[in-house]
Amino acid sequence: MAEEKTNRFLPYLREDRLPHIFCPGCGNGAVMNAFLAAMEKAEMDFDNMTLVSGIGCSSRIPGYLKCDSLHTTHGRALSFATGLKIANKDLDVVVFSGDGDAASIGGNHLIHAARRNLNITMICINNNIYGMTGGQVSPTSPKGIVATTAPYGNYDTPFKLAELVAGAGASYSARWTTVEMENLVLSIKTALKNPGFSFVEVVTLCPTYFGRKNKLKTPTAMAAVMKANTVYKSAADRMSEKELKDKVVVGEFANKQRDELSEVLDKFSIDTYGKKTLINSAYETDF
Amino acid sequence: MIIIDENLCKGCHLCLFMCYKNVYAISPELNDKGVQLPFVKFEERCTKCGTCEVACPDQAITVDLPENWWMKEGNDVNFNPNFTKGKK
Repeated sequence: MAEEKTNRFLPYLREDRLPHIFCPGCGNGAVMNAFLAAMEKAEMDFDNMTLVSGIGCSSRIPGYLKCDSLHTTHGRALSFATGLKIANKDLDVVVFSGDGDAASIGGNHLIHAARRNLNITMICINNNIYGMTGGQVSPTSPKGIVATTAPYGNYDTPFKLAELVAGAGASYSARWTTVEMENLVLSIKTALKNPGFSFVEVVTLCPTYFGRKNKLKTPTAMAAVMKANTVYKSAADRMSEKELKDKVVVGEFANKQRDELSEVLDKFSIDTYGKKTLINSAYETDF
Repeated sequence: MIIIDENLCKGCHLCLFMCYKNVYAISPELNDKGVQLPFVKFEERCTKCGTCEVACPDQAITVDLPENWWMKEGNDVNFNPNFTKGKK
């Protein structure tokens, strides 16, 4: 052997912080790998990329990657990302967010970012529960699960995030699970290349808090149940509401092009003031 | 060749679930951290698809792919569609 081979993702990671704090079997590390593989496939510049995250288990991902990152307040990751993208539209902004971050406290930011259609990519890691604070019920918890704050079962109907964002007007919206790695990598690649708001929801495993309370103690058992409950969108269109109970529908929910916010702003400022952006005018000296 | 990093592996055994060809097996002994490490038992089954490399949440698995693995020596047919572009 000529030289020792190392893992293909290790050059992108801060190796002094490894092994990371995610629990054994947590899908966040797999989503990190899928994002890096998709970035390699899309041939994007890792130095030109900025990762924004909120609060939560999944929002710790940018801390392990060797690039510019912004760790913001709870639920406001999309607001910070919007400001960052409008101020410097050459950056590739990617938002990592959990389900409590995106759907619960930042729900309005999510639908309005989708409505404005700004050119950012959002990867929402949905583990169906508030994992970091001890397993409370989140807006995406399925009906009937047992959690810390729902000891007799959850009676609320969950959010369907990918459909919600597609309905709010995003130009790309998809949902995949962590047991379908190839589809997830190709979907994130499409989302990174897409001009406009791109949303990828990744349904992932939480064996520590979701699995332990719901009789799925090992990561392998959770992954097997998730694989058995996965239905593709083309098959789900022909199924009734009763058959779709407790199923995860995966696929692309929106893929269409629309006017993009930063280009609209550029066009407005050229029409009105003859300059490309209003923001850069503050640094000009010849007034 | 498949390398498993013992310092990074946390023993979730998702590689056993994700592998399409059942290459891995669980070792019966615990290591220093109390983790039952997976090991490569049936290496001749491996097709080097690289799914376990992406699916491992702890970046512990390295699949040693040769540089141009689709080209076998003395073989006219190659399976990479991009490779034949512009030739023939």
